[in-house]
Amino acid sequence: MDFLPHFPLRLDSMALFGLTLLLGLIGGEFAKRTRFLPIISGYIAIGFLVGPGGFNIVTNSVLNTAHIFVEISLSIILFELGRHLDFRWLERDKGLLGMAAAESAFTFISVFSLIYFMVGLPKLHALLAGTIAIATSPAVVMMIAYDLSSEGPVTRRTLILTSINNLFALILFTFLLPFIQHETPSLLIKLTQAAYQLSGSFILGTFMFLIAELIAYFIGKHKENQFILFVGLVMLTTNLSQLFNLSTMLSLFTLGIAARNFDKNHVLLEIDLSWLTRLFLIILFVITGVHLQLYGLLPFMSAILLFILIRSLAKTAGIFLFAKTSNLTLQQILAISLALTPMAGVAIGMSNLLVAFNPDFGHRLLLIITGVVAILNIIGPVATQFAFVKTNEALAEDSIK
Amino acid sequence: MKQELPFKENSTLTMGTELELQLINLQTFNLAMEAGDFLRRLSTLRCPGQVKPEITQSMIEINSSIHTSYPSLLNEMQTIRQVLAKEADRTHIGICGGGAHPFQKWKAQRIFQTERFNNISEQYGYLAKQFTVFGQHIHIACKNGDDALYLCHALAQYIPHFIALSASSPFSQGVDTAFDCSRLAIISAFPLSGTPPWLLKWSDFEDYYNRMLALDIISSIKDFYWDIRPKPEFGTVELRICDTPLTVETAVQLAAFAQLLVHWLLETRPTLSHDVYLAYYINRFRASRYGLHASLIDPLHNKQINLADDILHVCEQLDTYTHLYHSKAALEKIHATASSRNNGASQLRTYYAKLQTLPDTVRLQTELWENE
Repeated sequence: MDFLPHFPLRLDSMALFGLTLLLGLIGGEFAKRTRFLPIISGYIAIGFLVGPGGFNIVTNSVLNTAHIFVEISLSIILFELGRHLDFRWLERDKGLLGMAAAESAFTFISVFSLIYFMVGLPKLHALLAGTIAIATSPAVVMMIAYDLSSEGPVTRRTLILTSINNLFALILFTFLLPFIQHETPSLLIKLTQAAYQLSGSFILGTFMFLIAELIAYFIGKHKENQFILFVGLVMLTTNLSQLFNLSTMLSLFTLGIAARNFDKNHVLLEIDLSWLTRLFLIILFVITGVHLQLYGLLPFMSAILLFILIRSLAKTAGIFLFAKTSNLTLQQILAISLALTPMAGVAIGMSNLLVAFNPDFGHRLLLIITGVVAILNIIGPVATQFAFVKTNEALAEDSIK
Repeated sequence: MKQELPFKENSTLTMGTELELQLINLQTFNLAMEAGDFLRRLSTLRCPGQVKPEITQSMIEINSSIHTSYPSLLNEMQTIRQVLAKEADRTHIGICGGGAHPFQKWKAQRIFQTERFNNISEQYGYLAKQFTVFGQHIHIACKNGDDALYLCHALAQYIPHFIALSASSPFSQGVDTAFDCSRLAIISAFPLSGTPPWLLKWSDFEDYYNRMLALDIISSIKDFYWDIRPKPEFGTVELRICDTPLTVETAVQLAAFAQLLVHWLLETRPTLSHDVYLAYYINRFRASRYGLHASLIDPLHNKQINLADDILHVCEQLDTYTHLYHSKAALEKIHATASSRNNGASQLRTYYAKLQTLPDTVRLQTELWENE
């Protein structure tokens, strides 16, 4: 009876991909029907329900097989994020760059101070926490803007500020990484590694952009061809940066920035990758939900809540400081500050590195970061959606008005 | 009860113009929903004329003040452009001319929230969003209401001339429409578009207006979307047929051309004939479709005429008045456009042939408007 299936049945990665999509779809629809929850909150909730925190249907080992989908989605997101960084805008509106620098710097300093002086973790951990806090989740912001067809001054500024604060966070993180990974080598080696990874990532991203230009000259301005060009380049850049031990995120970001700013002959098209990104992002958010851990956070709850509070205040203060130079209204200041609330899920990955290096302190920081990410995964998307809806930049569904 | 419709009397043949402009997202080169914020930013700046919202959030309208001569109108419009372009640059949006955005989807447009625009949206449904097209209106002052009505009909045979000279909407909804002016097809869908009634006395027009009010067909004179209409509160006749040209310079040349034409019509007073309307819509169609290459039907002389040649002929007739308004340079430009058969539509098609994509075409269109 060899023709019968062999038990126990095991789902492969394709089935898992399909199942996650379907479950996410249902969760998203539930969220949408509440009329105040973003669709991605539904994806996260479904992930939480099927994960270890809920009914424990999807285990971590099963999740590892879905890793590739998450990686592709993050790669595309980072490339897209780079494309939102328009130098011409920064050049013309000095307030915008000031705003980005101020909100990033205030966030870094205030979170560093909290972790170092109040929680009492080592300096390196506090520096890492400060770095992690800078970045707004590009996936959440971009997905909500896409889901709501949100367009307008607040949405555009939220996207470029997210882009810049992620760039700052990526540069700082790449710089800190050698200090986290190595316990004793000399300062020179650490600095050399940081310099290698930073410059190497910028060079790789720029090199891949030049390849893109060459291929684009050859294939011409056809949407279908250039769509494949971008997806291919993003995947190749991801792998090459891993091969050369560079920062994948920074390489992809650089590729995006170059595509936006250095394509002087306009051979690259403005390809909309959002529908493809969306497909992969459903997986990303469901998996985010699976990883959502609320267990064991209670002892750190005051640190977690303070972290969230001062992070939000720091971002608001940074934006407020340069709002006049950028001629923003009070409503726009508050909306942009609110929209920047979601924190990047990759923070957990970043803080995981510390656990390997120093299990005791690393574990404490990991718990705080996990708690912050968990809470911000719940309230962040709602805050961003609220900001876009209240400024009338989101399109009312199926409305002829 | 009869409502008075007083016509403001003007002693000199002044002119003014209104331009509906496109706000452009500089990443995608699609329309940008930025009118509300952009108007707020402009409200704090010193800018001559007026800047106003239009039916959807990606449109604005600029209005000149009243001018007697071509150079003073040109100077003011260039100043307005400079202020707008500088502020647009600061908030990172583009502004461009052209009668239609080449690839925007009407479904994606959003109504600008005012009582009047909400009423239009309520009344006309999807047509309100399709109304995201961009026109130039030219006002020429009239002595009285009778003159304004005379001009409404006397100018009717020159409507194709203005269409072809201003035509700059060859692309619509992502395709080359084969028209030089695709915008008029959108306007024609409105029930109150077309031509004014054959009335030549202002008192008769007042009766007509009151009848339309009583029948609840209109609520103000603004509800008439005619190609030409009298504008009693300004004391002008308003030409509403033109696409917004690609540059403010072209827009001002067209206004100066209209001023000269009105001067000539009022001075020579050609006899009006209702027969001009026998060929009105076919001529309007041909000018929209073929632009300066159109041939028109002259129902008064039972013959076909070449539109570009007729514009050249009109230019020669008007040349003697240019010294009154210092508009010799404007007339020469109009003459050159007609001679070369090169209007905004052909310019945009040339851009597209060179650049291969509509977003790149809009990019150039934006650069042209801001830097001319």
